Amino acid sequence: MSTFGAAAANHNPNKSFEVAQPPSDSVSSLSFSPKANFLIATSWDNQVRCWEISRNGTAVASTPKASITHDQPVLCSTWKDDGMTVFSGGCDKQVKMWPLLSGGQPMTVAMHDAPIKEVAWIPEMNLLATGSWDKTLKYWDTRQSNPVHTQQLPDRCYALTVKYPLMVVGTADRNLIIFNLQNPQNEYKRVTSPLKYQTRCVAAFPDQQGFLVGSIEGRVGVHHLDDGQQGKNFTFKCHRDGSEIYSVNSLNFHPIHHTFATAGSDGAFNFWDKDSKQRLKAMSRCSQPIPCSTFNNDGSIFAYSVCYDWSKGAENHNPSTAKSYIFLHLPQESEVKGKPRVGTSGRK
Amino acid sequence: MGKKKKRVPSKVWCYYCDREFDDEKILVQHQKAKHFKCHVCHKKLSTAGGMAIHVLQVHKESVTKVPNAKTGRESTDIEIYGMQGIPPDVLAAHYGEEEEAPSKAAKLDIPSTQLVGGLMPGPLGVGYPPQSTLGAVQPMYNAAVPVPPVGWAVPPRPQPWLPLHPAASVPLSAPMGYVQQPLFPVQGVRPPLAVPSTSPSLQPSQIAPPGLPVSAPTLPVSQPLFPVVNNSVPTQSSPFSASLPTSVPEGKGSIEAHSSGSASLTGGAGGNSHSYASGPNTGGPSIGPPPVIANKAPAIQPAVNEVYLVWDDEAMSMEERRMSLAKYQMHDENSQMSSIDAAIDRRILESRLAGRMAF
Repeated sequence: MSTFGAAAANHNPNKSFEVAQPPSDSVSSLSFSPKANFLIATSWDNQVRCWEISRNGTAVASTPKASITHDQPVLCSTWKDDGMTVFSGGCDKQVKMWPLLSGGQPMTVAMHDAPIKEVAWIPEMNLLATGSWDKTLKYWDTRQSNPVHTQQLPDRCYALTVKYPLMVVGTADRNLIIFNLQNPQNEYKRVTSPLKYQTRCVAAFPDQQGFLVGSIEGRVGVHHLDDGQQGKNFTFKCHRDGSEIYSVNSLNFHPIHHTFATAGSDGAFNFWDKDSKQRLKAMSRCSQPIPCSTFNNDGSIFAYSVCYDWSKGAENHNPSTAKSYIFLHLPQESEVKGKPRVGTSGRK
Repeated sequence: MGKKKKRVPSKVWCYYCDREFDDEKILVQHQKAKHFKCHVCHKKLSTAGGMAIHVLQVHKESVTKVPNAKTGRESTDIEIYGMQGIPPDVLAAHYGEEEEAPSKAAKLDIPSTQLVGGLMPGPLGVGYPPQSTLGAVQPMYNAAVPVPPVGWAVPPRPQPWLPLHPAASVPLSAPMGYVQQPLFPVQGVRPPLAVPSTSPSLQPSQIAPPGLPVSAPTLPVSQPLFPVVNNSVPTQSSPFSASLPTSVPEGKGSIEAHSSGSASLTGGAGGNSHSYASGPNTGGPSIGPPPVIANKAPAIQPAVNEVYLVWDDEAMSMEERRMSLAKYQMHDENSQMSSIDAAIDRRILESRLAGRMAF
């Protein structure tokens, strides 16, 4: 699992740090604690695992800390803003709240009629938002068993992003429902995705002025909310190789620089600057897709998982040989810091 | 490869379909994507023969023709990689077609010089012996030899026609390179010469593609791509971004971003990117559209370059499809089962699945 010989180059061409004891099946989501370098990974093997990530200069170490089990594959995770509690939800149609740093046991705090695809904690409202394939979005006060509010969606929830007061839900029919969380019971706006293909992921701008949307067609759309800023909207293609077009699986903003990373089914991840419309860095392709990725709280660590995301169907999955990896990449400043557009490149 | 003269082929070209490219790397990529790709699983091989063997061994199917190839170039026996392996007569024919005008002029010259050359040694040989004996022959000898003594009279003679000869009759290797260029505009197939200054589309060049008409919304075109600023690893997108800087100063220039209203490119892409379903929709390794693309290059080609979505199911997401697999649902009734039992059950099911699957 932690071999660094020639064979390892294929699945780790970027020479990232490999997290110890990765899940035994594909990873569905990664979350860093907002307060410390604790990493949560949810997996199709029904487990939610936690590692403590420690850095010594340029070296990175991962220590498995704890894990809980769901009854079925876990699809999403998020931390509470106090960095003490983790929420995880999945195909068992429940969300479990796990106060792991205080050593508590998990308890179920949310339920849906179908698998829960996305979960988000909204500190400003002290509520948990859950999006499910049952076409609803529900808000939960974790102390009550009934949702505070149920919001009907036009179709199954595929993607969710929250940056108070902006919340964007991506649904299966390429709708993007925008909410102003100051008025959560009404849809602020419903937009058809600027991308012509199934929505895969969304990410709200840190300044809440708009959001990114990624699709299965190797394309990312940059959409602004304000009518006056519609002229700044654009889309760009990425994660393509020759005649093959890969899905964009994950969009993550850097917390400090407000540049963003994309990760795709082609096994590559890239760093982009939307304001100068440039790609800052293209990383090498791994041998398997990257289904999920995330930055830590200060953007010094970029975690990504390399494992099969089902983009080529069941035929391409060999359970006996499939391996899942979680890697940690330490982005250099040149990779994630925004750059002004220059006539000739500013190479060192 | 033993090329004596420095040969700068102004454009490399594909043996199978006669398309031309700016450099060999792009040519190889083209060949792998268009001619050496398995029509069943879309694996790209490195040669046509390799692809045929793969299809035979893995999919138990016989491939006799190279996909997307012109008639007469479809043999899988001939080992082509980039520009290597092209038979000399085909090579000559390709350049010969553009050589016609000057070569005719050259050929006309040759016979005359040959005559001259042929004549010279004759009288010389004849006149030589008489010279020593008969004085009458001398003027003939002198006339026949405006050239200094016999010793090196002969060598200079062949020389006048030596440079002309290779230019015309030698398989047009060395000088051909120079001759070719001025002919391009004549042929009228050379708009791509102007291309680098405008559009970086390398593969969809406008050289008579065998039924692969180029349309503007070709997905591989890099126009809307972010230009690479710095530290660009030569990943899959670099051929496109690398060509961008040739036309646009790096880092700057018009990013042809699509405003949310412009549906042309993506709309067009929607129509044609489903040229064949490679992903889960096939439901099996060798189903459906693949036979279409195999050997019917001109007739049934999709309207634009073949591009396809790796995941193309609009109706459900990857996770939904994965969930539909029984192995992930088996725990529905077993919520109380201990994790060890669950792990054992899962392993049993996995090995059963692995046995059932056609790997």
